[in-house]
Amino acid sequence: MDVASITSLQNRDGGWPYRKGGGSSTEPTVLALLAQTVDQGDPQSFERAMAWLRATQRQDGGWPPQTQVSQSTWVTALVALVPRDALGVSRHARAIDWLMGQTGREASLAYKLRNELLGEGGGVIGKHEGWPFFPGAAAWVTPSAISILALEKARRYQMPGDIQQRIEIGQQFLMDRICQDGGWNYGRANTLGVEADSYPETTGQALLALHGLPAAKLEKPLAAAQAQAGRCQSAEGLSWLQLGLQAHGISASGPAKVFPYRHVADASLGILARAALSGRNLFLE
Amino acid sequence: MNHGIRRRDFLGVSAASLALTRCSLMRGREPQSRVSIVRAGYTQAIYDTVRRLLVEHRVDVRGKRVVIKPNLVEFDPGTTINTHPLLVHAALEGFRAMGAADVRIAEGPGHRRVTMDLADAAGYFDTIPHFEDLFVDLNLDDVSQVLLRDPFSRLNSMYFPNTALGADLLVSLPKMKTHHWVGATLSMKNFFGLVPGSVYGWPKNVLHWAGIDECIADLHATFPRHFAIVDGVVGMEGNGPIQGKPKPVGVLVAGKDLAAVDATCCRIMKIKPSTIRYLLLAAGPRQLDEVNILQIGETIAHVQTPFGLIEEWQNIRL
Repeated sequence: MDVASITSLQNRDGGWPYRKGGGSSTEPTVLALLAQTVDQGDPQSFERAMAWLRATQRQDGGWPPQTQVSQSTWVTALVALVPRDALGVSRHARAIDWLMGQTGREASLAYKLRNELLGEGGGVIGKHEGWPFFPGAAAWVTPSAISILALEKARRYQMPGDIQQRIEIGQQFLMDRICQDGGWNYGRANTLGVEADSYPETTGQALLALHGLPAAKLEKPLAAAQAQAGRCQSAEGLSWLQLGLQAHGISASGPAKVFPYRHVADASLGILARAALSGRNLFLE
Repeated sequence: MNHGIRRRDFLGVSAASLALTRCSLMRGREPQSRVSIVRAGYTQAIYDTVRRLLVEHRVDVRGKRVVIKPNLVEFDPGTTINTHPLLVHAALEGFRAMGAADVRIAEGPGHRRVTMDLADAAGYFDTIPHFEDLFVDLNLDDVSQVLLRDPFSRLNSMYFPNTALGADLLVSLPKMKTHHWVGATLSMKNFFGLVPGSVYGWPKNVLHWAGIDECIADLHATFPRHFAIVDGVVGMEGNGPIQGKPKPVGVLVAGKDLAAVDATCCRIMKIKPSTIRYLLLAAGPRQLDEVNILQIGETIAHVQTPFGLIEEWQNIRL
């Protein structure tokens, strides 16, 4: 699916659905916009999508996943990745404020106190603060990685605040969650004493968010990601791996089998991954 | 509506009495639920077997919209984790033959975003003609907010996929598995896949904080028009629902009453149903009692196959 095909699926309201015929959702809209940015999109389509995003920002500065949802969620981090000037400087700033106010529930004082009183400790949980998918829930790899990327973008705009510190805490959260095989699962690396296998999607996302770290710290994850790329079973997984590895200067070759794109979001990611392999990784600009 | 005293607190004192009250007084139900246990394998014969089950239970779907909800969890070509595609196709064909106006297959995996690729790897594309046209990824579907009536969990409302909300009959097609958080995952727990990942994330962690057992009971109450066929041809024991070991049992278990179906599955797995907390919440001890379930087909004793349990769940052994 190329940019023109993706553009043809844009809804009348300016947003994109995950699949043809669906209502507009924030995630595919942002990814389609980013794909247009790297691959000669239609300016009118781009502006209609930006207008949809501007119209769907909530009072608290965040974005809902769909307009039917009355709650800002992790997709706010995705929106903060679109060109700031097109979104609007103040809208972008409010989005960053919203992100800076989010942590996983396990990082809350009440939860830590409860664990102390119950003698449960918590091990790695709660030591470093990541981001949840949905406010009030625990932190996970995907929203944490995308939030770090959004804050890095904000830092490049020299926005005030403790952004650098929050980025570092978030990156440490990701480092704490490395699975035994070197990659990243969706969350914890170990459940009830059993090691979890890592996933291509989350491994690629985490490597993207850790792109500034010294290679020596990421030797095992980078090796794991390259191994995953060779046996990956989805286009979406391969795209994230290619984006993550490219952030560390590595071009990943995929499996022999070519997997189809399933919806607007993964097709857009494919365009972003191809652009990264050609030298333009939009997540790092 | 929420209660002044939270159910979960009250349950700490008297789970059985509360469940009994809710089951018998608030809902009302037939004295006996019918549950079928039939021998089956992953062969062409499963098509006839499923059709007979639907006739046996007088499932009237003429002119109705049916949504079949299998259990798709992980990449696993061995189909120990996921509902076998032959069973899903047999159900699809069965409901079509019974006169359903529209039959869809829908699922929203809890951990993996790449649902279609999971389905592909599990053999759904190869087994089910035009699968992509029939399938709805519930994680990415359009959603609507639903107020939870008298919820067990801490949630007052939830967002659900419109495909699930629009179904006249929701058919749970789970795998018979142990589960490291709730003991066993069967037809009722399978409804976790109705919760949209695009709203709540991967995993749907909001439900964990609101109480997993309570949320399962809420899902059961929110989608009351249901039927279940449990894939127990090869189940999973030990550290389910993903990292356990294959457990051949060679049966399908079916019925309209999900609590009765799951209680029967538990007995087949040699698990005490009343120790599975969400079953108690959703149904109560009387509904789970063997004397209140009319078993059709094979007897439990004939097919009983003790499932291995991890250390944390040894106390649920029947």
